[in-house]
Amino acid sequence: MLKIKNLHASVEGKEILKGINLEVNPGEVHAIMGPNGSGKSTLASVIAGNEDFEITDGSIELEGEELNEMAPEERAHQGVFLSFQYPVEIPGVTVTNFMKTAINETRKARGQEEMPANEMLKKIREKSELLEIDRKFLSRSLNEGFSGGEKKRNEIFQLAMMEPKLAILDETDSGLDIDALKIVANGVNRLKTDKNATIVITHYQRLLDYIIPDHVHVLLNGKIVKSGGKELALELEEKGYDWIKQEAAV
Amino acid sequence: MAYTEEELKKELETKEYEYGFYTDIESDTFPVGLNEDIVRAISMKKEEPEWMTEWRLEAFRVWKEMEEPEWANVKYKKPDFQAISYYSAPMNKPKYDSLDEVDPELLDTFKRLGISLEEQKKLAGVAVDVVMDSVSVATTFKKTLAEKGIIFCSISEAIKEHPELVKKYIGSVVPRKDNFYAALNSAVFSDGSFCYIPKGVRCPMELSTYFRINQAGTGQFERTLVIADEGSYVSYLEGCTAPMRDENQLHAAVVELIALDDAEIKYSTVQNWFPGDKEGKGGVFNFVTKRGLCETNAKISWTQVETGSAVTWKYPSCVLKGDNSIGEFYSIAVTNNYQQADTGTKMIHLGRNTRSTIISKGISAGKSQNSYRGLVQINSRAENARNFSQCDSLLMGNECGAHTFPYIEAKNKTSQVEHEATTSKIGEDQIFYCNQRGIDTEKAIALIVNGFSKEVLNKLPMEFAVEAQKLLEISLEGSVG
Amino acid sequence: MAFENTVDVNHPVHEVRSEAIKNFENLGFPSKKMEEWKYTSLKSLLKSDMSVFPKKESNLDYKDVKQYFIHEIESYKIVFIDGVYSSHLSETSHEGLDVCLMSAALSKPKYRLLIENYFNKIAVRDGLTSLNTAFSKEGAFINIPRGVVVEKPIQILHFSTGMESSLMTQPRNLIVVGENAHVQIIERHQSLTDNPTLTNSVTEIFANKRGIVDYYKIQNDKDAASLIDNTYISQQRNSHVSVHTFSLGGKLTRNNLQFFQKGEYLDSTLKGITITDKKQHVDHSTLVHHAQPNCESHQDYKGIYADKSTGVFNGRIVVEKEAQKTNGFQQSNNILLDDTATINAKPQLEIFADDVRCSHGCTIGQLDDEALLYLRSRGIPKKEATALLMFGFANNVLESVKIPELKQRITRLIADKLGVNLGFDL
Repeated sequence: MLKIKNLHASVEGKEILKGINLEVNPGEVHAIMGPNGSGKSTLASVIAGNEDFEITDGSIELEGEELNEMAPEERAHQGVFLSFQYPVEIPGVTVTNFMKTAINETRKARGQEEMPANEMLKKIREKSELLEIDRKFLSRSLNEGFSGGEKKRNEIFQLAMMEPKLAILDETDSGLDIDALKIVANGVNRLKTDKNATIVITHYQRLLDYIIPDHVHVLLNGKIVKSGGKELALELEEKGYDWIKQEAAV
Repeated sequence: MAYTEEELKKELETKEYEYGFYTDIESDTFPVGLNEDIVRAISMKKEEPEWMTEWRLEAFRVWKEMEEPEWANVKYKKPDFQAISYYSAPMNKPKYDSLDEVDPELLDTFKRLGISLEEQKKLAGVAVDVVMDSVSVATTFKKTLAEKGIIFCSISEAIKEHPELVKKYIGSVVPRKDNFYAALNSAVFSDGSFCYIPKGVRCPMELSTYFRINQAGTGQFERTLVIADEGSYVSYLEGCTAPMRDENQLHAAVVELIALDDAEIKYSTVQNWFPGDKEGKGGVFNFVTKRGLCETNAKISWTQVETGSAVTWKYPSCVLKGDNSIGEFYSIAVTNNYQQADTGTKMIHLGRNTRSTIISKGISAGKSQNSYRGLVQINSRAENARNFSQCDSLLMGNECGAHTFPYIEAKNKTSQVEHEATTSKIGEDQIFYCNQRGIDTEKAIALIVNGFSKEVLNKLPMEFAVEAQKLLEISLEGSVG
Repeated sequence: MAFENTVDVNHPVHEVRSEAIKNFENLGFPSKKMEEWKYTSLKSLLKSDMSVFPKKESNLDYKDVKQYFIHEIESYKIVFIDGVYSSHLSETSHEGLDVCLMSAALSKPKYRLLIENYFNKIAVRDGLTSLNTAFSKEGAFINIPRGVVVEKPIQILHFSTGMESSLMTQPRNLIVVGENAHVQIIERHQSLTDNPTLTNSVTEIFANKRGIVDYYKIQNDKDAASLIDNTYISQQRNSHVSVHTFSLGGKLTRNNLQFFQKGEYLDSTLKGITITDKKQHVDHSTLVHHAQPNCESHQDYKGIYADKSTGVFNGRIVVEKEAQKTNGFQQSNNILLDDTATINAKPQLEIFADDVRCSHGCTIGQLDDEALLYLRSRGIPKKEATALLMFGFANNVLESVKIPELKQRITRLIADKLGVNLGFDL
């Protein structure tokens, strides 16, 4: 589904990603781990199309279509969803209104009719129950005054609403207490099908107890230096990143 | 690649004024210029009683001695008051009894404005008085209103039919000598709306007036007088459009509201006069005096969405004379290209326990200048007066300006006044977040601006809110981005 | 209006002065018709025939005026009596820095370059400032060279004897702070009799790169004394300048305080406490002109007004198109103690750049009755409890005073003003 080949990206002339290769197939969950500053969030931003970053080499393909030149909203229309590490506040715009706009704009771009209001309401009800979100919450201004946990839960609610092909969860576990973490993980697991894929970006192994990855990649200094199964995450939890750094240096 | 703000701005600049069409209806227009004879002629044309003619002449004499004010934060070439025609009425028929008699072309105009009379009649139950080039052409729903004792007609008709009310209240809130434009209006006003709600009556529908300048080289000077008798309630809507012309057209209206004891008036305006083209050529000079008087326990609420006009000079105000009276002002002002707006309110607290709220949202784009100017005055006998003001500005691009000039004068120790103002821009992170959810930049900006303006949009009656939102979006598409 | 004193034509700043006098002739004194003077009238203070220099010089003994100095600390002192320098009360220096007289700076060749570069370079050309420039003769001249951290504060004291009723003194101060230099200055205007006095003071402050200036103004004059203070500040990159103004006494006080930011990454702080009664009138008119990116400004003014007194806060923040990423904050909080007092506030924002964060807040209110009751129920008498609350209200302005002895002094002045004997260190 997702093919990243030799991806190089830089911000303000400084190279952050130095040749990433990654292939994600439908039905798979990939975890990307790595110490702070290794380029994890940059990779997420670059896939989503954040223009602060410049792709200097390589390519990103989703189902055979190259994303490199696409605007962020076009990528979203193609089915890329990013759960933000720091969700942005938009005063005066309710969660519901925001989702309605997002879904209908996406449908429009795909040449579909707008979603009928009753269907929309039904979906909102269903998905908010899945994530145990209070309905009152949905008429509040987007992310404004939300606690850290509320923001993250709201991101996953949006994921549920938009049903993308590829979901990238950027540090979704940070700021979550254990109960909220379970709810979020349960939500993500329930949304999993054999047609979509998930990339979980995290610093800690904690989230991976609940969202079991098929593959784990270690990102170090802008490169994937080691890949393995879910046991790699446990090993990292136990031993930290130093041994990988040493291994990579050799 | 993504749509940049630059591209958006360009597109906005080239977006033409949607309502810029000219209705080809024969008009009866006076020669240009202003002197006592013209004032007399206007009065005669309208078959006014002698007292009204004298009232106008007195205003004209006052006006002659006055100077155009210069304190507002706007720059424009002063209109030549001798080069304007002060009266222009559609010729076919000055007055219509029912919609069927209205010139179909005129009806078509309203359709193009998106305010089909029939539709409104059916759907919203809005009673509409249409003032086109200053003459009131249609008042629908007259009968339904009459059953409740509500008078809703053109001011000319009111002068003839209800002289005792007009005589008592006209100029009582905005005196003739109040300011330059008010004096001018008092001398030459050609028509406008009049509304009286009897004691204890709750007006069952929104009352609405549409103003439109059509004829070239004419000024529009409407006069609106709304009287809510004790314990009554009325919600009043006012919409304005003008065709596209490359000369400046002058609009100097006066609106007076009187809310007697326990009465409530809601007055909402959507102003969309032609703002001029993207070079700043043409457009309407909108110099308007709006003021309401609140007696005991009365409430006046002004809501305005200002997207049009080349120059706006407008301060809908409340004189909180009675104890426990309430004044509110909710405003959205959008300026783009070379538009200039200097708008705000005055809340004059005279009575005890008077309260006022001011929420102002200014959005500036292009090369425009957008100023909030407000006065909160707490008189020494206004025990326990309260005011809360919030003025937020949103800037789009780096060639426009957003300014806040609040004047706060307090003389009572038990008063509480709070003023807050902020200035911000639309964050790139906000746009990226929307983009990532599949919303393109233009739509994202519209969404964010809508959110920014929400507190005010919420105050508009339903029928109007939708239109206002559409209007914001049009201004946004084309302007603010 | 005639000034009987004549001007020295051979003076190096003669040209500046003649231009200024022309300016003043054109502009005259400000009137209430001017937007910036809407709430303050000078009418009652101005007389048809005024002089700007005293006819007779007076002398004072240190012991008689000691109370007006922050005498608990070591400091440099520059002292004037009716605008004339008093050498025996002063403690000046030329060792590694210049703490001396304007008259010396204007006449001595070694200061010529400094005068050419700085004198009247930032002062605006309005009527009152022009009047001062035209007759600028004496005042403090402070020049802190690059890298010098001045160990002790500098006190500038202007005494008025009130012996000549039509005297309008024109003190002129120039303060130049070099790169990385740091200085603290305390300024006070004080009349010594109950006769009416009028001062029109102009101060120019230049803070060069990374310079730090902390300036404190004590305005606690007698009931008949009036002061128009015009202070103009020019800041270069990375500099920090703060001005604290404590307005407690005087008949009419007008503070024109204007900051001009000329480099990036600098900040400007303007704070004030105003407590008035007995028909006093205090007007703070501030301007922060943001002309460069990445700068900050903080304004915090507290005012408490009683007994027919009037307070004015007219604060302006201007952000030019170039000044992206500006953070400009302004806060004005006011309390009216009775219905004869008035506060007029006009906090203005004029913004031409889109990527800025600017806000202003202005409140008018009263003391919290519940808090008052609470204090009284703990045995604190009403007067003291009221004073405590007022002090609490104004306290965060005092917090940022960096000289402990000065902070103590101001605390005492406030207690005196409120008629209580409290240390407020409770």
